Amino acid sequence: MTKIIDERIPQDSGEGANFKNYYGIRSPWNRIYSYQEALHYASRFEAVLSAATTQALRIIVPEYEERAQMMCEEAFERLYILGKYYGNDEGFGIHPFMCGQFVGALIGDQGDDALLMCGRCQDFGSYRAEKELDVCDWDICGSELCRATVMSLQGQANSSAERRRPGPTMDYMMVEAKGCGDRHCRIVAESREKYPAPSRPLWESFGPAVTADMIKHTEEEDCVDESMMFREECGYRFVNGVNNETDSSNQMINLSTAASLYILPAIAETVKRGYVTREQADHILKCVLEASGKALFGERYAIKACRDWLGVPDSVGEDGRILGGQIEMLLQSLVCDYEVEAFNKNEVILIIDRGGLEITGTTDLPEAHLYMWHGMVKTLVNAQWSVWEESSPAGKMRIKIAKKIDKFM
Amino acid sequence: MYKNVFKYDEMKRSEHMAVRTTVGWYYWTHQLLDVSGPDVVAFLEYFYPNNIGKLEVGRDRYTTMLNEQGEIIDDVVIMRIEENRFWISSLYASRTDDWWYFNQGNFDVEWDEITDEWAMYSVQGPKAKEMMEKLVQNSIADLRFFSHMENVISGIPCIINRGGFTGEKFGYEIYVNPGEMEDLEALLKEAAHELGGREVTEFQVMAWTLPTEANFYYMRDLAHTNPFEVGLEKNIDWDKDFIGKEALLKIKEEGPQREMLGFEVAEDDIYIQSKQLGGPGEAVYLDGEEVGRVSKLVYSYVKEINNGYILAQKGKLKIGDKIEIHGHEAVITEKNWLK
Repeated sequence: MTKIIDERIPQDSGEGANFKNYYGIRSPWNRIYSYQEALHYASRFEAVLSAATTQALRIIVPEYEERAQMMCEEAFERLYILGKYYGNDEGFGIHPFMCGQFVGALIGDQGDDALLMCGRCQDFGSYRAEKELDVCDWDICGSELCRATVMSLQGQANSSAERRRPGPTMDYMMVEAKGCGDRHCRIVAESREKYPAPSRPLWESFGPAVTADMIKHTEEEDCVDESMMFREECGYRFVNGVNNETDSSNQMINLSTAASLYILPAIAETVKRGYVTREQADHILKCVLEASGKALFGERYAIKACRDWLGVPDSVGEDGRILGGQIEMLLQSLVCDYEVEAFNKNEVILIIDRGGLEITGTTDLPEAHLYMWHGMVKTLVNAQWSVWEESSPAGKMRIKIAKKIDKFM
Repeated sequence: MYKNVFKYDEMKRSEHMAVRTTVGWYYWTHQLLDVSGPDVVAFLEYFYPNNIGKLEVGRDRYTTMLNEQGEIIDDVVIMRIEENRFWISSLYASRTDDWWYFNQGNFDVEWDEITDEWAMYSVQGPKAKEMMEKLVQNSIADLRFFSHMENVISGIPCIINRGGFTGEKFGYEIYVNPGEMEDLEALLKEAAHELGGREVTEFQVMAWTLPTEANFYYMRDLAHTNPFEVGLEKNIDWDKDFIGKEALLKIKEEGPQREMLGFEVAEDDIYIQSKQLGGPGEAVYLDGEEVGRVSKLVYSYVKEINNGYILAQKGKLKIGDKIEIHGHEAVITEKNWLK
């Protein structure tokens, strides 16, 4: 192969023409999307990948309660330990005088906004807290994920509380969940010293809340669809009740995904607990993610939409550049470094920074993407095309999109 | 529906009313910066708009800190420990640290965060003085408001500062080594109990309901406002240079765009968003026109009514005006519910 890079519109094209600078991503054909759109795009794509990954987990552990309990245990323990050793109380505006586990609500509140899970805090006190979300891109992943996210919050709340003067305990519950079809996600945290309730297994993290009569339900017309950092009425800043402020500039690099933070670690846990071997788990992941990738462009209109989204000229026919451009958009959206080694009608070669694609340090996430891309190219281009990793330098994932015949594919 | 999270909560009520009727004590440790050096007065004068140089050793001063646009970026209590040594009590010490670092110029000063070296307890209420006198080795009878002194409580060395943001005439803050917390808490608990008082444990009471009732702010109320908008311009020292002065002079000349007002909602079980929980706060309407946003909505246990603050367009609202917030009727009031 030639490793030719087709003529691409230069990055400084138009400089001096009195256009203002922009912040966004752009396709190989100069289709530009805003930072906000890019963040939404990355969030949505990764949610779809995460949903597919959940299906792999469901194959490995078919029984709901068993799977949910395992996910909750794993998420609780891991986030507790992360919080214990790397917790950044001041970064969340947790004041020195705050005692007990209610401070975990500040961590959850800020994290929601960064992940575009917009909504509002409804109560925040030493014995009760409530948060309502109108949007959650992860709502397609399955309700067991909702349960696990609550327990990860519980883990962080517990570890943060241990660094402080002892105070009331808090029992975090997701009493409504978009992943279950509810209009909102709603976390209610209650102190069991003040609001006693029978103890429950970890996976039963959906409540019910003792303080159900204090819940404030936001009607449809008052719901929001953007995080504070993208809303004019908020001054384009996330600001919480303790005056912790962030803007949108660092959100992309802080992006985490359901797959990276919960599902792939849960699959690793199934290996640890002996449900499957690592090889079996990877095999199931590969099967599910390839199928999921194929389904993305199963309809012809999806291909047309993708070409339109990328601004692919009509002169570019059915070849690997379409997927190459699509992958570039995702990598830019994730602020993941990559180099283009080849980009022509015969092949596309991208050298991707593995660390950037691991997102939250989840080492098998780059492979999960690779499986999905391989499935995508089969329907986005045609079945002659494949995506595979080849001759990767250290710390990189060198992927090739080209035609390939494999009698065992 | 929307059961009021304050009104029916007997725990919050009893903690709040202990401070109003007898005495309440609570763990109230803030972040502390220790700043000293030959240029320390000039340094602090430059960063804070209120006068620092005239502050006597042993006295404290409340002041805002501004950015170049005249916006409040922190509100603090400055304690003069020695002639050239001050403590800054804040809840945003790391931001202050950055702000000082990047704007320190050539001032000959040094500073450290000493938060971990001190635990602080607040004792507030009409019987606070009586309770403190029972505890301390040296009488605090002559300690003036915003003054501090070294003292001893049952063998525990401490600093007693007279101050607080509850509106109570008698309020004290006890600074001790964190290693003494357990012993001190046992003493506070017993002393308060003897006077019919109790510990305040609810964040919402210590940070929201008590200060709001007495017209005090929590920093979230002040974010992205200037001193003229929130009534904190009175003690600004216009005879000195400080960060934000130029912008403030312009605001002074042109008049502020907004003002912080009090409001009440008589209906018990309401749903109104306020900035104290984050976000933009609920829109406030007068005759169908949006005239402001809700900064704070809590509950006055003294007046038995929902009370709070609105940041409104200047001149649009006056006391007694009826407004509409998320379908609820409200009325504009003074900001002090203890008068």
